[in-house]
Amino acid sequence: MIDDLTEQDELIERVARALKPLPPLNARATAGILAAVRTRSAQTPSAWSRAVEWLRQPNFSVATAGMLAAAALAIGFVTRGAITPAGPAALATEGNVSAPVMPAANTPSAVREIPVPITFDAAGASNVSIVGDFNDWNSAAAPLKRFGANGPWTTTVKVTPGRHLYAFMVDGKLVVDPRAPSTRDLDYGGEASVMMVPTP
Amino acid sequence: MKFLNARSAAVATAAMLVSIYGATAAAQQDPQVTAIRDEATRTVVMEQLSIARDRGIPREPLLSRALEGVAKNASSSTIRSAMAALQKRLTRAHDLLGASSTVDELSAGADALSVGVPDKTLKAMREAAPRRSIAVELGVLTELVARHVSPKKASQMILDLMARGATGAQLTALNAAVQSDVAAGLTPEAALERHGRGILSLLPLPTPAFNGNPRPR
Repeated sequence: MIDDLTEQDELIERVARALKPLPPLNARATAGILAAVRTRSAQTPSAWSRAVEWLRQPNFSVATAGMLAAAALAIGFVTRGAITPAGPAALATEGNVSAPVMPAANTPSAVREIPVPITFDAAGASNVSIVGDFNDWNSAAAPLKRFGANGPWTTTVKVTPGRHLYAFMVDGKLVVDPRAPSTRDLDYGGEASVMMVPTP
Repeated sequence: MKFLNARSAAVATAAMLVSIYGATAAAQQDPQVTAIRDEATRTVVMEQLSIARDRGIPREPLLSRALEGVAKNASSSTIRSAMAALQKRLTRAHDLLGASSTVDELSAGADALSVGVPDKTLKAMREAAPRRSIAVELGVLTELVARHVSPKKASQMILDLMARGATGAQLTALNAAVQSDVAAGLTPEAALERHGRGILSLLPLPTPAFNGNPRPR
């Protein structure tokens, strides 16, 4: 019985110690901490003031410059062509369907180009080139060279397999190939020669 | 080296602006487009290419068609009409030949449609050769129809030849032979029949499709 009472006393004492309030705060120390916090927050500049400060005294690292330039390039490429003379409004004026009908199609042609020898007789000509859908009708792309003093004009063009339309530019005038079949152009009028290039 | 002076900052900012301008200007000012001297034509070409880009239509055949018009001294309105018509045909060809078609196939398909090849023929040709280019087959078909072979008979012959594995060289040889016979006075369809049957006779018969059943013993 006495042992029980002793144990209860010890338990009461432990509870009493645990419930004993913390020592009072040092008022001076608390004031010091609060003052320090206030000073620190007053010293931290806002984003705007940081930007103004940066413009006033630019701290420019090479990495920052590179990142900005890369971002500018990315923006440029993403928005490329977004500002055009006609703009997307042209769709409405054309009266066509406005919804995209194909996925982004810059499908490159994976087909190998075949070298095709070209010969053309033009005895009195001084300048001959071949133009066609394979060189965007560019007269400077594939000039022919005269074979000998009065021989035929020759060159080789690289063309993808399939059907191609072409003509010769002889001293600034378009001339069809007399050795090849020709077809009438319903849009532009006149005729163009036809070249059939088989798969290798 | 971490911090540079204000002059370096100015240089970097200028470089950034030049980059932005260059990227957008490069898109708008394709050298082939800027080389077009006539301003009205240049504007038309840029408009049409812009429409094509918005629709996902490949620009190469359109630009080529525009430059063909420039080489032929066509007016800006004629070039606009030609480009718009080609856009429609390219779109149709894409619908019929499928999204995986190459630019060459789409151009060839658009040409085939322009001479009157039926839509269903383009679909059937793609189904006959889903994993390889059919630009040559489409080109030969276009030529045959352009030489007054009926689209139906020309389509059937090309599809028969494809089913039997005719090569591009055999098809272009067929085209040349038909044109030669037509020039000699034969009707286009008789010439096609003659040379088409000739090539078919050289090709192996099509193997029957495997139906999943074991071979009978």
